[in-house]
This record gives sequence, structure tokens and C-alpha cells, in this order.
Amino acid sequence: MSSAMQDDVTGARDQWGTKLGFILAAMGSAIGLGNIWRYPYVVYENGGGAFLIPYFVALATAGLPILILEYSLGHRSRQGAPATFHSISERWEWLGWWMAAISFVICTYYVVILGWCLSFIYFSFGQQWGEDTGAFFIGDYLATSDGAAPSGFWDIGGIQLKVLVPVVIAWVMVYVLMQRGISKGIELASRILLPTLIVMLILIVIRAVTLDGASTGLNVLFTPDFGALRDPGVWVAAYGQVFFSLSIAFSIMIAYSSYLPRKTDLSNSGLIVGLSNAGFEFLAAIGVFAALGFLAVQNDVAVNEVAQSGVVLAFIVFPQVISTLPGLNAVFGVLFFGCLFFAGITSMVSILECVVAAIREKFDMSRKAAVNWICGAAAVISLLYVTRGGLFYLDTIDHFVNAYGLVVAGLFEVVLVVWISRRLAQQRDHLNATSYVKMGPWWTISLKFVTPILLTFMIVYGIWKEIDGDFEHFPETGRYSEYPVSGLIVLGAGGVALTLLLALALSLNSRAPHDQYVHARQE
Amino acid sequence: MDTSAIIMFLVGAIGLWGGLILAIINYNRMARREKSD
Repeated sequence: MSSAMQDDVTGARDQWGTKLGFILAAMGSAIGLGNIWRYPYVVYENGGGAFLIPYFVALATAGLPILILEYSLGHRSRQGAPATFHSISERWEWLGWWMAAISFVICTYYVVILGWCLSFIYFSFGQQWGEDTGAFFIGDYLATSDGAAPSGFWDIGGIQLKVLVPVVIAWVMVYVLMQRGISKGIELASRILLPTLIVMLILIVIRAVTLDGASTGLNVLFTPDFGALRDPGVWVAAYGQVFFSLSIAFSIMIAYSSYLPRKTDLSNSGLIVGLSNAGFEFLAAIGVFAALGFLAVQNDVAVNEVAQSGVVLAFIVFPQVISTLPGLNAVFGVLFFGCLFFAGITSMVSILECVVAAIREKFDMSRKAAVNWICGAAAVISLLYVTRGGLFYLDTIDHFVNAYGLVVAGLFEVVLVVWISRRLAQQRDHLNATSYVKMGPWWTISLKFVTPILLTFMIVYGIWKEIDGDFEHFPETGRYSEYPVSGLIVLGAGGVALTLLLALALSLNSRAPHDQYVHARQE
Repeated sequence: MDTSAIIMFLVGAIGLWGGLILAIINYNRMARREKSD
């Protein structure tokens, strides 16, 4: 066994303290910002209640099968993604590194959003965002330059101190959790934060559904438009939501399941994590649209005029909701932004952990050293998003690494296991040997046919939409189509290309301690 | 809320939360069996 992956005190490999701890940590990883600020709008925009049909189909034929496959891959190899793919085929180690590189890029901006959440927890006291919440967030807080003009996009400007301070605080919290390790850091945090997050969301939902106009918002959310199901875009949206929401293809679940004891019910754990993630976002959608219904009624406008997603929903529309509430405004603000922060930080540590696991195995590094290097490098890069143009860079990179990084990596992962190395039966046997719920034809057919076809369709559909100029479904800010082509090429396409080059370089490195690890296990 | 909206809410609630409850029941049953073994 590679010495670096051993616990400094016990000499044993890092391991979850309990199976429940693993499930909570995996739930914490899956439940992130997107569950709260993306899913409600996706439902609303894609047929309302009728969207639940493609959503269930996507969950059953892609989300849960890939999630359980990743559990099996990590649990069987007991290594991070690069070493796992290396053990399947040496030529495919790069895929694990690509996943890790994408995760690294994502954590550089994810932490900045955590910083924004911390700021808005503070701003909730006295509703410091004032009347014009859009001008406050974009102008006063982020001091964003004019991104519509090419010169505006590249106007990096100086570092914004009021954004930098909360981002540094968020980094310190993440760093401490990462240094404490699997059971004493990530697991302990998940055991405390995840139940707290669920209680906070329930409180938000109870308050939201008891507001005037809540039923108006819920009608808009749930009234089904079954005609929308004829639109392929709705099905792509369902598969996209399930794919991004479950932390698939980040290589997180491979790393997390590698820390599980041999005897673990993987399939049922996967079902619990997948369904709790879906159940959480369903609950969040109720809270969000009940609150939006209230805001619409108070402003005497239609719900579609206040319905937004992403950054705009969280930091522009929700402050309006909070200011409009009849009482306990600060409490509701702290609950909402606290929810976002807790959901985000448990996802953030999971994104970092898959990078840490990969680096430790490859370079035989201690956790302390790996965390220092990775957090240090990511913290320096995250300064880019604390500048005047930070919002544009975040928006562009987020869109490209998700649409062309994660989805393509997920497709390669499935194709490698199912069609190239033909290890699906081996993985199924591994799962069924330890699990109460057996994986049968449904799982095999989903991974052999449905998932590769749907992921390919998602990629082609996304590219077609890009060429068609129909960007508005993708960006967090809704301003994506205004960005200069130079920005999209350099930061977007360039960012994805850089992760790929980095992955290839790391996989070509002949120094691979995990070779010993693989061989030791096989013996 | 409209009837169609209530029906779709129930479909989502029963499908997602019901499924989760079943998975947790299964998990506990498996854990008890492991203990007794």
C-alpha cells in the first residue's frame, strides 16, 4: 500500500468512521448550490409538473446507474479516479486526471460563491442591499465592469476587498476541514451540517408556503404542460439536471467510495444518496416558488417576471423576497444564505477531496502536503473571481467546464467501462456481492445503451445551441450571450483545453506509486 | 392550488420522498441482518 494514503496515527488507509457518515458525506457532496438555485427554475421552464416525468426517467436510467457504477469503481479499486482508470487500462489514466483537473477548476470559483453567501448572511441584518438589489449585488458589492463590451469583459480591475475577505474566511474553513481528513474533517462536518441544512430548508419552506401568494407560485411550478414533453430540449434539461446534481463525473464518488470498508451495501447507499438529493431539490423548489409567488403578488406582477435561477435568483431576487417579508426578515435571510453556504461547503470539500486523493496516490504525498499544495494553488487562482470581471470569468468557465468537461468525461467513463474494457459485468458482480438491492438488466441496459446515447445527444444538442446563439438556458447570470468571443475562446474553450492538457501531462508521468498499490491489491 | 398542480406535487412527493423512505427501510433491514450475523 502506498504509504501516503495511510493514516498518520493508525497506519491504516483513510476510512469513513461509519457507513452512515459516508452516506451523509455523499449526500452533502450531491446536495449543492444547484439543488436550491437551479432545479426550481429548470422545472418551471421545462413543462412545470410535467417535467417530473423526464426527470424520473433520467434519474432511473442515467443518474442512479452512473452513481452506483462510480461507487463500484472506487470501492473495488480502493483508489482515486486516475489510479482506478489506470487499473482498468493504463492508457485511460488521463480520464481520471481530467476529472480531477475539472474538479480543481470548479473548486477555484465555487469557493467564491461561498464567500458571497457569507457576505449576504451579514447583509441580511438590516437588509443592507437596499431597494435596488441588482444594482447592489452587481455594482456595489462585486463592482462588476461592463461585460457587454470586449474591453469591459477584460477589465480585470483590482481585487475587491469586500469580496476577498469572505472568500478568505471560506477558504480557511475549507482548509481546516480538508486538513482534518476523512473521518475527523469531512465526515464530522457532514454529520453536523447536513441535518442542520435539512432543518433550515424545512423552516424556509414552512415560512414560504404560509405567505400570501405562495399558492400562485406553486401553481406556476407544478401545473403540468404535457405538450412540452415533445420538445427534446426538455429531456436534455432533465438528464442535464440529474447529471450535474448528483456530482457525477467529478470523480468524487470514486474517491469517497474508496474509503469505505469492504463489506458495504453500495447499491442501497447509492439509492439513498440519489433519492435524498432529488427529494431535497424537490423540497427546495417548493420553498423557492412559494417565495417567488409571494414576491409576485406583493409587486402585483406575474410570477414569470420574478422567476430566475442561479446567481440572479440567489443574490438579486431573494434579497427582494427577504426585504418584502412582513417580519423576521433577517432570520429568513440567514436561513436562506446559510442553506446555500452549508450546501456549498459540503460539496466544496468533496470536490477538493477527489483532487487530493488523486495527487496523494500519484506522488506518494501526505495529506497535509497535498492539501497545502492544492488549496494554495486553488486559492491563488480564485483571486481571479474576486476582481471586477470576476462574475464574467466565473460564468464563462462554469458553463464550459460543465457542458464540455463534465459531460464529455462522464460519457468517456461509461464508454470505457462498458464498451472498451468490458468491465460492466465485473462491476455488477462486485456490487451484487455486497449489496441488498441487486443490479440487474435495468442497470446494465441503462449503462450500455441509454446513458451513452443520451450523453452524446446532450453534447451535440449543447453545441447546436451554442452555434444557434441560444445561450440563455446555460448562464448563471443571463448575460452570457453578451460576452466577447475572445473571452469565450480564451477562458471557456481554453480552460477546458488546459484541463485536458494537464490531465495528459500527469498521466504521462512515469512516476506512479499507485502501480505498486494496484499490484499489491491484485496479489 | 389547482387540481392538476396538486396531482403533480403528489406524484413528485410520493415518488421522491416515498422512494427515499423505502431505501432507508431497506438499509436499516440490511444493517440489522448484518448485526445478527
